[in-house]
Amino acid sequence: MIEQVLYGAVRGGTSLLFPVLGETIAERAGVINLGTEGSMLAGALTAYIVGVQTGSVWLGALAGAGAGASLALVHAFMVLTRGANQIATGLVVTFLGIGLTALFGQEWVGVGVNGFGAVAIPVLSQIPVVGRVLFDQDPLTYLSLLAAPAIWWLLFRSRAGLRLRAAGERPDVLLAHGGSPTLVRYVAVVAGGALAGLGGAQLSTAFTRDWSEGMTVGRGFVAVALVIFAAWNPLRAIGGAYLFSGAIALQLQLQARGWELSPYLLQAAPYLLVIAVLAVLSRRRAHQAPEALAKVF
Amino acid sequence: MHISRTPIRAGLLALIAALALVAGACGDDNGGTAADAGADGDVTVGFIFVGPKDDFGYNQAAYEGSEAVAEAFPDIEVLQAENVPETAEAEAGMQNMIDQGADLIFATSFGHLEFAANMAEQNPDVVFVHQGGLKDDLELDNLGTFFGTVYEPVYTAGIAAGAASETGKVGYVYAFPIPQTLANINAFTLGAQSVNPEIETITVATGGWCDPAQQAQAAQSLIDEGVDVLTQHQDCTKTIVEAAEQAGIYSVGYHADASSLAPEGWLTGSEWDWADLYVDIVQTVIDGDFVGSAYNGDFRVGLQTGDNPFVQSTFGPAVSEETQALIDEARQSFIDGGSPFSGPVSDQGGVVVWAEGEQPTYDEVETMDFFVEGVVGSTN
Amino acid sequence: MSLPAPPRPGHGADPAPSAPVREGAEPSGPDLATTAVDAAVDAAPWWRGPALGVARWSAALGAAVVVYSAFLLARGADPVLALTAMWDSALGNPTGFGETLVRTAPLLLAALAVVVPARAGLFNIGGEGQVLLGAIGAGWMAFRLGDSLPGGFTIVLVALAGAAAGLAWAAVPALLRLLTGTSEAISSLLLNYVAGFLLTWLVFSPWKDPSSLGQAYSQRLDPNASLPVLWSRVHIGIIVALVAAGAVWFLLNRTTWGFRLSVVGGNSEAARRAGFRVSALAVVAMLVGGALAGLAGVVEVTGVEGRLRPDMMAGFGYIGFLASWLSRHHPLKAVAASFALAAIAVGGFGLKISTGLSGAAVNVLMALVLLAVLGFAQRKEAT
Repeated sequence: MIEQVLYGAVRGGTSLLFPVLGETIAERAGVINLGTEGSMLAGALTAYIVGVQTGSVWLGALAGAGAGASLALVHAFMVLTRGANQIATGLVVTFLGIGLTALFGQEWVGVGVNGFGAVAIPVLSQIPVVGRVLFDQDPLTYLSLLAAPAIWWLLFRSRAGLRLRAAGERPDVLLAHGGSPTLVRYVAVVAGGALAGLGGAQLSTAFTRDWSEGMTVGRGFVAVALVIFAAWNPLRAIGGAYLFSGAIALQLQLQARGWELSPYLLQAAPYLLVIAVLAVLSRRRAHQAPEALAKVF
Repeated sequence: MHISRTPIRAGLLALIAALALVAGACGDDNGGTAADAGADGDVTVGFIFVGPKDDFGYNQAAYEGSEAVAEAFPDIEVLQAENVPETAEAEAGMQNMIDQGADLIFATSFGHLEFAANMAEQNPDVVFVHQGGLKDDLELDNLGTFFGTVYEPVYTAGIAAGAASETGKVGYVYAFPIPQTLANINAFTLGAQSVNPEIETITVATGGWCDPAQQAQAAQSLIDEGVDVLTQHQDCTKTIVEAAEQAGIYSVGYHADASSLAPEGWLTGSEWDWADLYVDIVQTVIDGDFVGSAYNGDFRVGLQTGDNPFVQSTFGPAVSEETQALIDEARQSFIDGGSPFSGPVSDQGGVVVWAEGEQPTYDEVETMDFFVEGVVGSTN
Repeated sequence: MSLPAPPRPGHGADPAPSAPVREGAEPSGPDLATTAVDAAVDAAPWWRGPALGVARWSAALGAAVVVYSAFLLARGADPVLALTAMWDSALGNPTGFGETLVRTAPLLLAALAVVVPARAGLFNIGGEGQVLLGAIGAGWMAFRLGDSLPGGFTIVLVALAGAAAGLAWAAVPALLRLLTGTSEAISSLLLNYVAGFLLTWLVFSPWKDPSSLGQAYSQRLDPNASLPVLWSRVHIGIIVALVAAGAVWFLLNRTTWGFRLSVVGGNSEAARRAGFRVSALAVVAMLVGGALAGLAGVVEVTGVEGRLRPDMMAGFGYIGFLASWLSRHHPLKAVAASFALAAIAVGGFGLKISTGLSGAAVNVLMALVLLAVLGFAQRKEAT
């Protein structure tokens, strides 16, 4: 049962891990983006359409990232150039994503896509438990697991990351050193949107192989919450994403084992879990939040 | 962050002006009044669907039925509205159609019943037919319900599943424990048990008619439990068929023929074909014969009447001749007046619900609120 | 955000500010001078005044409609037909107009639920869940009372129960914020999903109508717990909502509490130094918001639905959030904003029928209007 829950956590967690990583980048630069939900939907639909049209799911994933980035660009422009409120704009961008994907996704419902399949990594996938959980997944899942440490390195060990974090912590200092906090934030928000789009792409072309209206059902919002849980750290993001999807896998597993518990109450559990964990961690997290971000929270 | 007040007031004016601008473009094209259908030769038929009209499932089937109506009656106007929720918004939507001259409205989702009944009471000149519900003892000249016997092909699909399963476990992903779903799960289980009495049906609820991520996860949890046949009662059906095929197990479809998605593991399924029934209902209303007709009551058709709109999908390669013969046999017994729920049928706790020689009425089937013995899951 | 009224110095009441009158200026007396200075500051040059406001707003909203039309065109639909159909079904005839009013009532209350906490600088994105709790609370009380009390008492108690349930749901993020510093925006957002599951569970299990023939809904509320109808489907809820808007306006702009709230929202450090109990003020603002959202659930369940249903009020909380932002958190302007968004939502029906497009496509128009207004209709502000 543990292996099954872990396997489900990873399989279902990839579509969360990408947006958590993306939102981590954006928030490290000082911008919160609730439009992540919209970017995910845009990514899911675009990847699906391009995947069907070209027959290449990789092109689809790329296009999904592009679509996620485009919506994030709307967010960046509104909050960075037009000075609009970050929380409100993010929600509006999500509305835009829901509406646009409903409008343009209509004719793609029920169309088959030749999506990503599981690719077992030789030798490693033979390891008991861990092998199946980590090394018998789809390529985008491997990509997300590589992306997390790469982004960690980028944020905390590279010059670019230093500038990015400066934009989120001490924009005035960055400015004094001849950097442009606005430009850095643009890049961070758009990159974050691209990752959210990639998460959507994994959802539609690898995990479910289906497109349907509003199929993310709040995963983008959950991702924003998980960023706090992960203390704006890309490595801890892995744990956050898998915690949530592991909770979903667990409740379904319990149902399948005939637990006489209402499925609806079980379904609320992952959300309650995140709230509870945030409540426990928040005091500590307050000091870890990028300083400029504190202004919008 | 002081904001001058004036522009905001101006803004609201501008917003109203913008809306008025749109109004300027609109003509007064209200159709005829809701007179007696057919009397003026200007017939309008409305359809409301609860989900998207191309969901590869329930709503798409109903939508295709409405298209068949448009094709069969080129002179009538067909109004279609998808994503009409099962809330009072449905009444507003039907009112909108009546304002556009609708004489007959098909409310095609189970949860639209109460609103169709309300509207029928308020609009005696408009005929309302509801798909899937029971109007019970509500006697109105302009209201009726209709449905097929969904559970018949589901039972026979269960036979195919029971014959194919080696683990003795089959998986059922569903949305909500409504009677239609419970009847399906029970019929499927009884069908499977008719070939292998040890069959267990493991059920998982997703809490949504179309939530692919939950479906994928649910399918995975069932596969992990050792099921080797997967079926479902969801509105969008692709994810689960694909998940089964990926995992190398069998799948049974629902709502739509998904055999192309699962060339290896497809067993069979059940799908809708509403065209003939819809067209006949429209014709009856146009002819002015609705009042007192079968459609004015709780109209149910099945194999016994020979026109079940719910039909068996094509068989996949894994269904043997022998199994098909069993299926034909069961189907013949339904034609002869039998039921998938012919006793003895016991519930999960082993209590006999229908004893040997008994079988439920339509009403009893459509208000079913329990799982039969052999089903793993909770109806709460 | 408009400034609170009480501390505003009365014109001419204190001559001191008008002291630096240029030497050699006409001795016109302090009163007149003050007025002149005030007028100069307030009205500014004409190009920053109302004319610009109208121009900006028209351009922004016009652009939203144009972009929306472009999307519709790209989808192969005739935008004129689509917009006409939207207008027709939302405002173009008495039934449509009535429907828009019916929808305005809960949206306005949901918007006010955002307005009050926003005055204290808090984000209540939990309206979606709070309205459901309002409906649940109202249902609970209505089922308890049945027809045991005279109608008037019943409906008041039902409304109070709904407001209390909404308040309680808002108390969770408010207290989490206060005690642990958890972002109320995030926790209230997550609680929306929990509220949805709670409602689903109630109508499928303990509260399911035993005579529903399998339909998933609660029993019908007693007629005593139904809001009086004004005409056709329009019920008294719209009046409740308008009164609430007036009350919120009074509370925020004419009471000390409202003034303190805006000080907290403007600069919580200053508020703390001024000796205000900042956390208490913020928590109460959030609770008032929750109660207002709860009332939105009450008017919908007692005025429209008559029962609890799993899919009721989907999106109302979020649209209320947008309406609050559209009105810049002004309780009276929120009336117009809620009406406009209600019209767009109701217009979605005409859009579906006339073009066959997904009804969710109206979200695009709402989003574009909001983007236009947040980003372009006002002068740029710092966040």
